[in-house]
Amino acid sequence: MAALFIITSCKKENYALPVASDKLQDQAIKRTLGPNIVGQNIEFAYAMAILPTKGKLVSCVAEASIAGAAGTYMENRSFYTASTGADVGVTVGSPSVTSKTTTTVTYTKDTSAATLRYYYVIPEEARGKTVTIKFTATSDDGETKSTTMGPYTIAKMDMKLNMKVTDGNLMYISIADTAVYNAADAATHAANIDLVYLYRNLTTSAFNHALVAPAANAQYLPGVTLPAGVNRTAKLLKTFNMQDHNLAPNLQYSALFIDDLDFQKLDLSGQPNFAINLKQEAGVWVETADGKYRAYIFFNTVATGTATVSIKRYAL
Amino acid sequence: MKKNITIALSVLVAATTWIACKKDTPIDEDGLLITTRRECYVSSFEMLGPDFVSVRVGTALIDTMAQTVKVTLQFGTDLKNLYPQFTLAQDCKLTPKIAGRTDFSDTLNPKKWTVISGDRQIQKTYTVNVSVQPR
Repeated sequence: MAALFIITSCKKENYALPVASDKLQDQAIKRTLGPNIVGQNIEFAYAMAILPTKGKLVSCVAEASIAGAAGTYMENRSFYTASTGADVGVTVGSPSVTSKTTTTVTYTKDTSAATLRYYYVIPEEARGKTVTIKFTATSDDGETKSTTMGPYTIAKMDMKLNMKVTDGNLMYISIADTAVYNAADAATHAANIDLVYLYRNLTTSAFNHALVAPAANAQYLPGVTLPAGVNRTAKLLKTFNMQDHNLAPNLQYSALFIDDLDFQKLDLSGQPNFAINLKQEAGVWVETADGKYRAYIFFNTVATGTATVSIKRYAL
Repeated sequence: MKKNITIALSVLVAATTWIACKKDTPIDEDGLLITTRRECYVSSFEMLGPDFVSVRVGTALIDTMAQTVKVTLQFGTDLKNLYPQFTLAQDCKLTPKIAGRTDFSDTLNPKKWTVISGDRQIQKTYTVNVSVQPR
């Protein structure tokens, strides 16, 4: 019995070289992570190959179920990774041509294998819907091969990055407009002003950077004379260590994404209408007084009397 | 010789039976170990804001005789949304349990928590008085 086991375990397995398929083959991956936000790219890499003895590639087509926004294109270079780790592109076709839902690259070099990247810019039309992308490769022996990616849900939320707020000037924030106004402009958009940014360097308390609803107690708006009609309240919740990767793509630890679901589940009942002593990389969840919007405001950078903030906003 | 072996076996069986029947170490209704410790006090106190960052100004004053905790909070602290954190003497537990955000806004009726000693025989109720730093 033991001898049988030994013989069995030591039995040499014959290895045979795998036989390459003689058909046109393809494979696709989605390279971008996180929520799909209108105006942002979804990047794909589409690989296609045929045996050189069978033929060469003729074209590559990406067809979106909803036409991409301006800027949608496919690379006409096939990339490989050099020993340095850098991606190196080799031109294999003519620049892509996009017509409505279809983006095409026609090969101009004799190519039997290539990986082309496709950048789909999410259009406004796709907000809250799903999108699929069908990739098709064609070879000169008449073969075609297709792969469909998705469906991908496009987020309802939108995003605005790197808005500069300055105490005494651009300090009135509108969530509805996702804009920052000075006092004069705030007066003309009074109904939409949700927050006031201010900075106070006090010796008696840690006030520093703050977001305060215009209707908050005056002690949280020291020295601020609100423009006529700016009187809305809001609900605010301070948070920290919520470094959203979309809002802070350059931060080392920004590895999380705020998505529609976070806004849907957010409960700000009982929260105050002010947030004092905010720091760099702090965030504030906001719900507007009319209940139309929820937002997350992230403090990218702060300096004395000024800050750069980025916003994700969800319409309820 | 045979007699000795019998005695040894009997002792072994008796020891095994005794170990197997030994009563489990006592635990309370929360699954916590009940010990013999009789210390019963709050050793330190922290207060976190809704962003889980401390909003305390200076050290909380703990009076173990008067059984009070006095803590001053930063200006702008929302008293309705705070997370108190108690550090207790070894093996103690706290009641009621702190399950989440706690409302400290009713400063005329300060919040109270009871510390229970490790042997579960001593209870001391602490009153937590909060005040907010002026601007």
